[in-house]
Amino acid sequence: MKWWLDFSSDAFIVAFFLYCASFISYAIAVGGKKWSNRKPAEHAARWGKIAFVLAAIGWLAHLTFFFTRWYGGGHIPTSNMYEFMTFLGMAIMFAFIVIYAIYRNMMLGAFTLPLVIIIIAYASVFPSEVQPLIPPLQSIWLKIHVTMAAAGEAFFAIGFAAALVQLIRVVDFTRTDKAGRRAQFWTEFSLYVIIVLVGFIVAVFAFRGAGYEAKFTQETVTIDDAGNALTSVGEVKYTLPPLVAPYNSETESFQSFLGIKKPLVEAPSWMNGVNAGRKLNTVVWSVIAGSLLYGLLRLIARKKLTAAINPHLSDIDPDDLEEISYRAIAIGFPVFTLGALIFAMIWAEIAWSRFWGWDPKEVWALITWLFYSAYLHLRLSRGWQGTRSAWLAVIGFLVVMFTLVGVNLVIAGLHSYAGV
Amino acid sequence: MFQNTKCECGHQNPVGTVLCESCGKPLDEALLKDENALLEMRYDGVARRSQKANPHFVDRIWNFFSSVKIAVYLIVITLIGAAFGTILQQESTIINLTERSEFAAYYKEQHGTFGVIYHALGLSRTYESWWFIGLLVMIGTSLVVCSLDRVLPLYRALSKQQIRKHLQFINRQHVVYSGELTQDKQEWLDRFAKELKRKRYRVWREDGALLAEKNRFSRWGPYINHIGLIVFLLAVLGRSIPAWHMDQYLTLYEGETRQIPGTNYYLKNDKFTLDYYSDEELASNQKGTKVVKLYETKARLYECTDACDDPTREPVLTEVKQHDIRVNSALAYKGLKVYQNSFQEKVRFISVHATLKDKVNGTDIGSFDLKMNQPEEEYKLGEYTLRLIDYYPDFGLDEQTRPMTKSRDPNNPAFVFRIAGPGIQDRGEVYVYFPMPSEKSKYYETILNESFKQRGDNSGRFSIQVDNPIVDGQMNNIEYSAFTTYLNIRMDRAMPYVWVGAAISMIGLIMGFYWQHRRIWIRIDGDKLALGGHTNKNTYGLRADVAGALGKTRIEVDPKTLDNRRNER
Amino acid sequence: MGRYRKPVQYIILAVVLLIGGYAIGNSLFSKSVVLTKGDKPPGFRLADLNNVVHDMEDYEGKPLIINFWGTFCPPCRNEMPALQHQYDKWKGQGLELIGINLSEDKLTAESFIRQIGVDFPILLDKDKKTERKYGLKQYPTTFFIAPTGEIQEVVIGGVLTEEEIDKRIERLIQTKS
Repeated sequence: MKWWLDFSSDAFIVAFFLYCASFISYAIAVGGKKWSNRKPAEHAARWGKIAFVLAAIGWLAHLTFFFTRWYGGGHIPTSNMYEFMTFLGMAIMFAFIVIYAIYRNMMLGAFTLPLVIIIIAYASVFPSEVQPLIPPLQSIWLKIHVTMAAAGEAFFAIGFAAALVQLIRVVDFTRTDKAGRRAQFWTEFSLYVIIVLVGFIVAVFAFRGAGYEAKFTQETVTIDDAGNALTSVGEVKYTLPPLVAPYNSETESFQSFLGIKKPLVEAPSWMNGVNAGRKLNTVVWSVIAGSLLYGLLRLIARKKLTAAINPHLSDIDPDDLEEISYRAIAIGFPVFTLGALIFAMIWAEIAWSRFWGWDPKEVWALITWLFYSAYLHLRLSRGWQGTRSAWLAVIGFLVVMFTLVGVNLVIAGLHSYAGV
Repeated sequence: MFQNTKCECGHQNPVGTVLCESCGKPLDEALLKDENALLEMRYDGVARRSQKANPHFVDRIWNFFSSVKIAVYLIVITLIGAAFGTILQQESTIINLTERSEFAAYYKEQHGTFGVIYHALGLSRTYESWWFIGLLVMIGTSLVVCSLDRVLPLYRALSKQQIRKHLQFINRQHVVYSGELTQDKQEWLDRFAKELKRKRYRVWREDGALLAEKNRFSRWGPYINHIGLIVFLLAVLGRSIPAWHMDQYLTLYEGETRQIPGTNYYLKNDKFTLDYYSDEELASNQKGTKVVKLYETKARLYECTDACDDPTREPVLTEVKQHDIRVNSALAYKGLKVYQNSFQEKVRFISVHATLKDKVNGTDIGSFDLKMNQPEEEYKLGEYTLRLIDYYPDFGLDEQTRPMTKSRDPNNPAFVFRIAGPGIQDRGEVYVYFPMPSEKSKYYETILNESFKQRGDNSGRFSIQVDNPIVDGQMNNIEYSAFTTYLNIRMDRAMPYVWVGAAISMIGLIMGFYWQHRRIWIRIDGDKLALGGHTNKNTYGLRADVAGALGKTRIEVDPKTLDNRRNER
Repeated sequence: MGRYRKPVQYIILAVVLLIGGYAIGNSLFSKSVVLTKGDKPPGFRLADLNNVVHDMEDYEGKPLIINFWGTFCPPCRNEMPALQHQYDKWKGQGLELIGINLSEDKLTAESFIRQIGVDFPILLDKDKKTERKYGLKQYPTTFFIAPTGEIQEVVIGGVLTEEEIDKRIERLIQTKS
């Protein structure tokens, strides 16, 4: 069993590097068209093919990771945040391959792969060891509900990637009126948000590599079933230098960082999630690291990042991207409905005795569904096609990510996993 | 706004028609003005029922719900409202509170001022609030009205389609091709029709005109989906019918049988099992912590068959079902479901096997089982009789230092016996017995019996005790429950309808999203070929179909050039 | 369809109004289990200490006091003599008083009753059934039920003094059915 698990994590690393290689090839395909001595179309086709093959092999390695971990761990690896996020990455690759098979659009890969890389790198932030299943998860529905829901969300992710390319493609940098500037700003902002996510991952791995640690003892008051207030003291460990201390806590140990010897502020009391203070601290660090990273990229590019990418996209048709984005969402919507709502209801009925309990995670899955329903209805009227619907596809995926990650970080509920 | 509804082809259209029902010529003024604009093909341009001059009051309400714009507003408002409900914990998740004032205090304590505002706004009961339910009702209404208003005219339009369409209609579709036809007209049409048939199109022809169509059923997908949603919403509403719905909690210690309130069923907890994962099974960051592997209630369900409502007799029970209740595995019997909710580790005495001893000559007189619940009132032990004259399940003293019980649970039971038999004074001997093998209980037992002795009620000759109560940390001759299980008892007669609704809705979604209604019109005037194609989704696929069929008939085109939008630029 | 358009519209809107009204109404008037003034007390059939069955219906049309008590609850114990006194005083005028024991063992209840010398009927609740029907939150709880069959007052917790009981009985008796 141990052997299988070791083999599995090796396969995961292979998949990760193949994805990275694939992304680089896509970047060469898109960015290198105007290099000397090349026919642009030929160059793009060749490197696009290389990139796709690398991605496909990467996906096979990813599948190997998944099934060997399943075999070695004894249960389907979708039971905690690490496993779910790696699975989501795999599902997005699957959706990408399906959509690619239909449309053969190379640009899609150039934007899907970084997304997948970010998601599985994000997964690696969480403890990766196989954990045994607690009783509520011991059900066949763990396989069915989670995989279906992730598959639906994966198609939304493709819709998001296509919409984002479309937005960057159609931004008009010559416009100086209000609407034009707004479009420029928000497109750039979307990229910035993605870079903040990268910043988060970089920060976590940098400090983990340096072995940073700080500890706090936190006093929490909970009310038990009989209505008594119970005070418990728990230890909170930080792996990022604590700029924000847990609410109501005492410093136990603190490695000084850049001369900072104690936390700057304490987390507010209304943040309810498990380890809310630590999560807020992580968010602050992500923004700092992301902004530094963004600044660096701006320095290299010497202009807005969207403006740097935009010229490379000139030969693709935004209408095609729009069609791909819409189609991906249209494929994903029934899958999502079935996996994230109907199967979820069936499982909830079996495990928790009610098919719907307005648990935050359930509500956010419903919100996601309502959002995409609104998107699909809005597209019926012509005024909402094009850029507006692309924006909706981008926001929709933000809602998806909030449902998957944000709810666990900010709101406590039945679906909580361990988090950073 | 629509004055002339009669088309040049002679067809009389209803008010609100965008494209002539017969030949497809645009009638809408805006469409007529801009000759290059794509046609508005929603619902095939027929008049929706709601569009009418001089609306009546009822019409206005109808039109309100018939609008997709309103439907989208409703969805968005519901979405935002639902999100508000997730900011703080909802009242329904706090099990032990029921009164408004209790909740208000809870939110104040837990979340401070924000909690007070949240609760005062009613957001702590978002999903049961009148406005949220109202939004759902409005969405339901919108589903009915929108669908009805569109599906009937659409059905009408699709079931009587004209084959020869107006040239403007064809040239203003999303997918278009026009060119000179150099080949023989009839022969080309034959071959083209054959190609389309191979792609599973149904083809109709009429003298130099062609209509090919496939997957029309996919157009009904959204409406089937909406029907499913309506069934679903009605089923959910049906859960509020009291007789259709039951939701209660039952607490059972091991060995206990209790009636499920409001039913004729009784439930018994035979045994409760709790297992933790061993250290080897845990991940390294979990080692040393207790991770639950399994918790399970071995349960029996009984039905009462006699003396069910007779308070003077014990009910007669018949076992109907036995099940090991676990999370993910409920006991189910005739629509009644019993779920494992949670448990508590709590020792509770059920009975002891006690022995009456004669301390003077060191003999055992006899032993008997003493229950903590509804104990027998008389015990015969050889020549001796024990009469239970008082019982305190949780012994204590009241303000006047009279003995009393502090609760209804046998936390520290005390039994007062009157012993009668040979060699005992006529009124018998009084003896108080504390079965709990704790120092405190035994201390009480000693001093109380001592005081009876001083009163002359007790000679000190007898004692009641359990033999070897504790050996190596194990309790002997004592029956006890180690866990109390919390079970959730449910009945939901509406559930089948909920699933039916969900299934219908799913079928509709699959029909609507995984197939697309594709139509191709061709019109040949002289040697001019005009082709138009329309689909509700996936124009890419339709373009490929058209380009493929054209290619096979020796008209080579790049699928991309068929896209009418491109021609605009 | 065209011809039936109006009626169909009216029928659908009426159905919506009905079902929607029911749904929203349900959310507006959420029912509380706690009984208050003006409610009709739920029925019960319970045995007394002599194994005689008492039905709520037996007391219809009479001024009635129902006192829920347990030997584990000090205020219940302290209230008992006062209730017995008032019962002695008013039973001649038709007052009925029932003590419902809170699902204790018969022996436990019996020995306490003997000690106090209570002679009004003591009924034994089983498995907290009746207690739950009456939505009890605290002990003791005493219901004063007028001859009309409506609850006139619910006294939750605390020890009722003789004067307080007396005042309430007087009001009960004055309420004509």
